[in-house]
Amino acid sequence: MPSNQTPPNDPVPPSRGKMAERLLPGGTEPDPRFTLANERTFLAWIRTALALLAGGIAIEAFTSDLFLEPVRKSLAVLLLLLGMLLSAGAAGRWIRVERSMRNKTPLPLPLIVPLLAGAGALAAAVVLVFILWR
Amino acid sequence: MVRTRLPDPGPHGDPGLQPERTTLAWGRTMMALVTVSAIFLRWLPHHGFPILLLFAVSAAAAAAIYLTQRRRYGASARGISRERVDADTSAVLWTAFAGVALGALGIGVVLAG
Repeated sequence: MPSNQTPPNDPVPPSRGKMAERLLPGGTEPDPRFTLANERTFLAWIRTALALLAGGIAIEAFTSDLFLEPVRKSLAVLLLLLGMLLSAGAAGRWIRVERSMRNKTPLPLPLIVPLLAGAGALAAAVVLVFILWR
Repeated sequence: MVRTRLPDPGPHGDPGLQPERTTLAWGRTMMALVTVSAIFLRWLPHHGFPILLLFAVSAAAAAAIYLTQRRRYGASARGISRERVDADTSAVLWTAFAGVALGALGIGVVLAG
């Protein structure tokens, strides 16, 4: 076969980019609808994280005559920390879901769900204790 | 920025409108980032100058989404047509990085203030 001719049905593996090859190795391309759905779920988590980040900054500023400084600061840091962890966790979950779709394995459980629930409950408890104690 | 005319992706024929829904989800995230950057600016008098760093990160992330929306829609519409969409690793990682950076900068601002 001449070297400058490729057979018409040769399945040339299309390049996916270096980062995708490294983070999402092996497997087969999943249904594109699932890939897009995974992206939208990631974005929904990011918006949740953004709400927490804005809340953290706002609570520090606008409750200065309502809460004592340590309560105010710990609530703000808690919300900001949660927003930070959720942003990172959302990307981690996106990668793990994408990998399991490529390898046709069951989808992983979302670790960021108990994280959000737990930290949300903790923030509520801090406010509750403060209100009752005051 | 040089604006190149992107090719018309053509009808993708997906009754679930996946490319539209995904582009709108990015648009919502962009709006959330704009809102968040406005909230940061609102508290500039209380937190002072460092809050401008948070504003810059969230505004830059919103602008980056805005400038890539057209390309994003085209890539997903063509991807649905040929039954293969490449996972947008860099967009996901950059967005998550912006969230982590905002959190870290925010904690710094709160603890320093």
